[in-house]
Amino acid sequence: MRRAGWILLATVLLLFPLSFDNPYYEQLGSLVLLAAISASAWNLIGGYAGQVSVGNAVFFGAGAYMPLLFYKLWQVSPLLGFPAGIVVSLVIAVVIGIPTFRLSGHYFSMATIAVAELIRIVVSNWDFLGAAIGLTGPATPRGWWDLVYRSSVPYYYMFLAVLAALLAITWWIQRSRFGYYLRAIRGGERAARSLGVPVSRYKLYAFMLSATFTSLAGSLYVVKFGFIDPGSGFGILVSVNMVLIAALGGAGRLFGPLIGAAILIPLQTETNNLFGGGGTGLTYILYGGIIVLIARFEPGGLLETWERLRARRASRAA
Amino acid sequence: MILLQVIVAGLLIGAVYALFSSGLTLVWGMMNVINFAHGEFVMLGMYVAFWGFTLAHFGVASFSAAAAVMLFMLGVLVYLALIRHVMRGPMLAQILSTFGLLLVLRYSAFWAFGANFVSLPDGILGPSLNVGGILLSAPKLVAGVAALAVTIGMHLLLTRTMLGSRILAVAEDRNAAMLMGIRPDRMQAIAWGLSGASAGIAGALIATFFPISATVGESLGLIAFVVVTFGGFGSVPGAMIAGLIIGLIESLSAFYVGPVYQDVFVYALFVLVLWIRPRGLMGKA
Amino acid sequence: MKRLLLSATIVAAFSVSAVAMAASEVKIGVIMPLSGNSASAGKAAVAAMELATQIVNEPHPELKNLPLASGAGLTRLGGAKVKLVVADHQGNPSEGQSQTLRLITQERVVAMLGSYHSSVSLTATAVAERYGIPYVVGDSVAANITGRGFKWTFRTTPIASDFANNYMDFLTDLKKAGHPASTVAIVHENTDYGTSVAGTVDKAAKAHGIDVVADISYNANGADVSAQVLQLKQKNPDAIVFIAYTSDSILYMKTMKSLDYLPKFVIGDDSGFSDPAFISAVGNLAQGALNRSAWNIGAKNSTTWRINEMYKAKTGRDMDDTSGRDMQAAFTLMDAINRAGSTKPDAIRKALQATNLKPSQLMMGYRGVKFDKTGQNTLAATYLIQLIGEHYVAVWPARAAQHKLIYPFKGWK
Repeated sequence: MRRAGWILLATVLLLFPLSFDNPYYEQLGSLVLLAAISASAWNLIGGYAGQVSVGNAVFFGAGAYMPLLFYKLWQVSPLLGFPAGIVVSLVIAVVIGIPTFRLSGHYFSMATIAVAELIRIVVSNWDFLGAAIGLTGPATPRGWWDLVYRSSVPYYYMFLAVLAALLAITWWIQRSRFGYYLRAIRGGERAARSLGVPVSRYKLYAFMLSATFTSLAGSLYVVKFGFIDPGSGFGILVSVNMVLIAALGGAGRLFGPLIGAAILIPLQTETNNLFGGGGTGLTYILYGGIIVLIARFEPGGLLETWERLRARRASRAA
Repeated sequence: MILLQVIVAGLLIGAVYALFSSGLTLVWGMMNVINFAHGEFVMLGMYVAFWGFTLAHFGVASFSAAAAVMLFMLGVLVYLALIRHVMRGPMLAQILSTFGLLLVLRYSAFWAFGANFVSLPDGILGPSLNVGGILLSAPKLVAGVAALAVTIGMHLLLTRTMLGSRILAVAEDRNAAMLMGIRPDRMQAIAWGLSGASAGIAGALIATFFPISATVGESLGLIAFVVVTFGGFGSVPGAMIAGLIIGLIESLSAFYVGPVYQDVFVYALFVLVLWIRPRGLMGKA
Repeated sequence: MKRLLLSATIVAAFSVSAVAMAASEVKIGVIMPLSGNSASAGKAAVAAMELATQIVNEPHPELKNLPLASGAGLTRLGGAKVKLVVADHQGNPSEGQSQTLRLITQERVVAMLGSYHSSVSLTATAVAERYGIPYVVGDSVAANITGRGFKWTFRTTPIASDFANNYMDFLTDLKKAGHPASTVAIVHENTDYGTSVAGTVDKAAKAHGIDVVADISYNANGADVSAQVLQLKQKNPDAIVFIAYTSDSILYMKTMKSLDYLPKFVIGDDSGFSDPAFISAVGNLAQGALNRSAWNIGAKNSTTWRINEMYKAKTGRDMDDTSGRDMQAAFTLMDAINRAGSTKPDAIRKALQATNLKPSQLMMGYRGVKFDKTGQNTLAATYLIQLIGEHYVAVWPARAAQHKLIYPFKGWK
């Protein structure tokens, strides 16, 4: 039964862009997948390990700037910047991670926000990185390696491949000792330590893994949109979006972020289409309202609601 | 001479920072809840001042009092409807809840009041005072004095009154306080009310020299976080001192090094404080 | 009999649909910031473009010098009415791209207008380029919008370097008139707008032999600018060029007064200085501030005056320069679509490339509209206007001046 579910999901995801001949839906689908990648990466540190980072944009931005920087300096394919973004992100993860993980709860979250803001301001004023104006990429492709496509479909499949890899890794972690340690850490650090869990080390590993995939998400974003500036790379809304999407679907659950993205991205776009033109900010009021409702009534996300309903039905049947 | 003026300017804006940060530290220290929407409370206080002046011809004292009362009520409401329920839940929910509140408050104001900037007339509190060649901006001076008054007042309230000791008891040990017959819910609601009230007063006074729009909460909120972290969560006097120091650093670095670096210094300081001494200058351990 | 009835019905049906098609709509997409910090500017611009559409769709013989104003609708497309489809990009480049994509693929607009923020114009025009849809940029001034070798991007507005040169030409004239004009300070906010314009002003100053004594980059929407003002007070330049949005512009004026620093001369680069909120908040403190505008209300009963009256009736405020420039872009685009006689993108593009509007056909003070190979309007120009009382009046260049220049900066005195 479970296997049928997986096959169905895989089929839907694979065939989605081919079933419509509509560039708008193709774009929407690719945006959903991209958001799911960042949110699933966040999920590793924020969901499974329970360390609520609101500054993962740091890695996203690093991953986004490197490809365009390589293009600006040497006119090479942005693809070559992908590994550079990952390396930079790993360095940042270690440098911030070590001192910041000593903090707990709100202090940790505040520190991650502060670091992201600090980096955003520094980049805003650094001419080499385009300062506030940002960097642009190749507008028309010189070859397939520039990764510039008119249609969203190639991007869709690139994102799908990366998401699948990330979810596979997450699934493997879930069932391994790594996952066990993370759950123990989330449950209570002091208790975990007393059980012999190497808390600091594993928090750092989770953070580094999260950083790697968030950086990839940034690189993928930038080849699709062809432009990055400090706000769209390092801004606080970028970080908050990752947290929100994972939380909506269910933080700490494998498919939580994907579900969250599948609901929130179309919702965001549709409310902007419906109300945005009128310019009354209704989009944001709705968005904020949804966040408050989730936090207040279902912090475990929609997957938790689903599980609760299923359990109720099962117990009623028994 | 100009150095003295730069220092004075820094201290004056620092006092303003202290004013709108004091409410945040109270709530944060008391309940370990970050109110991301604090900047929006200040923004609403600014609008109360503007509408009070424009529609009802209130003077500064009247619209400040009105802001205090209205934002007190909002603080209590937010606690009862939202915070109370997420407080003992997962960290994620706590952080998301006030973030969502930020969006709702900011964009409701945007929807209700429009996108245009509005202002109170310049010089509503009189011209700058000239003290021995140093110019002191009147509105900032008033804000500074108010900051001091609010700081002292809150400190006295918390440490010298029955109400204050009840609030502190709940902050220290909720269950023990309950056993003592204190109603924690009521105390925490009052704490949120006080936080709102001080944000309201801050907003009303800032409105006398700062342009008002629905989005001002963004920059003000960020400053409040830095001040509170530096001063120490939960310490109202700490927020006062931190505010002054930060205002001073900003002013000096803007003048001598370049305004852009002012932000870098402040954030770097913020991060360093969190890493080296998370409890800030005067926070509890 | 039945067959006759059937064929008559079919003919009637075709005629109706033919008429329907002829009198159908031509959709133009518009993206603007309608939420966030720039929302008031965005909304004002949208109102102006809607007014342009109204003028084209309805007969307005009193505005006969404007193309398409006298008749109703697009005359060479059977009187088809123009419909604007407006979207909010929220000041976010990726949202700008998504919305542009939606307008092009879902709403099937034949051309695009936008977008206020240069960063958004950069990404949105890239989408239009990929899809082969003409995009007319009415207001964004960053140089590289038309510097990328794009074929579908057109820009009617003057760009940052044009304004910078105008300011320096003005200062040179000021010097000739015997006033001090050898040193200048540039105060700019640190996002893409402020940084790019400041760069051009700096270059232009050096080219004109004017010394830049201070280049003050500050954090936009900050709470305090005392330190910056004290720096200016210390350097005391002959002129200050402010490149700032509304909140900061207001704050600077108030802070200069509170720190008793009356600059010798103040130039504001549109944006904040043009916002009516600036005039109502600190107009009495900023008397004599110079601003740039390609828009001038003009004499009573002139075309521009009439347009302003219509705009006032619609929005309750006077037309501002940015909205005017967007409105001019809308007129230019609609004229091109009409000349193309078709809604096919390639035809519209060719018509745009062939545009050659004379100054008498414009509502803005450009010397004409003619696009070069990169899509930039080479005849774009601006007036310099000065705040006298509650309005800005044109004072430079001499041929367009409606009032004598007031020197020095009066401020609050």
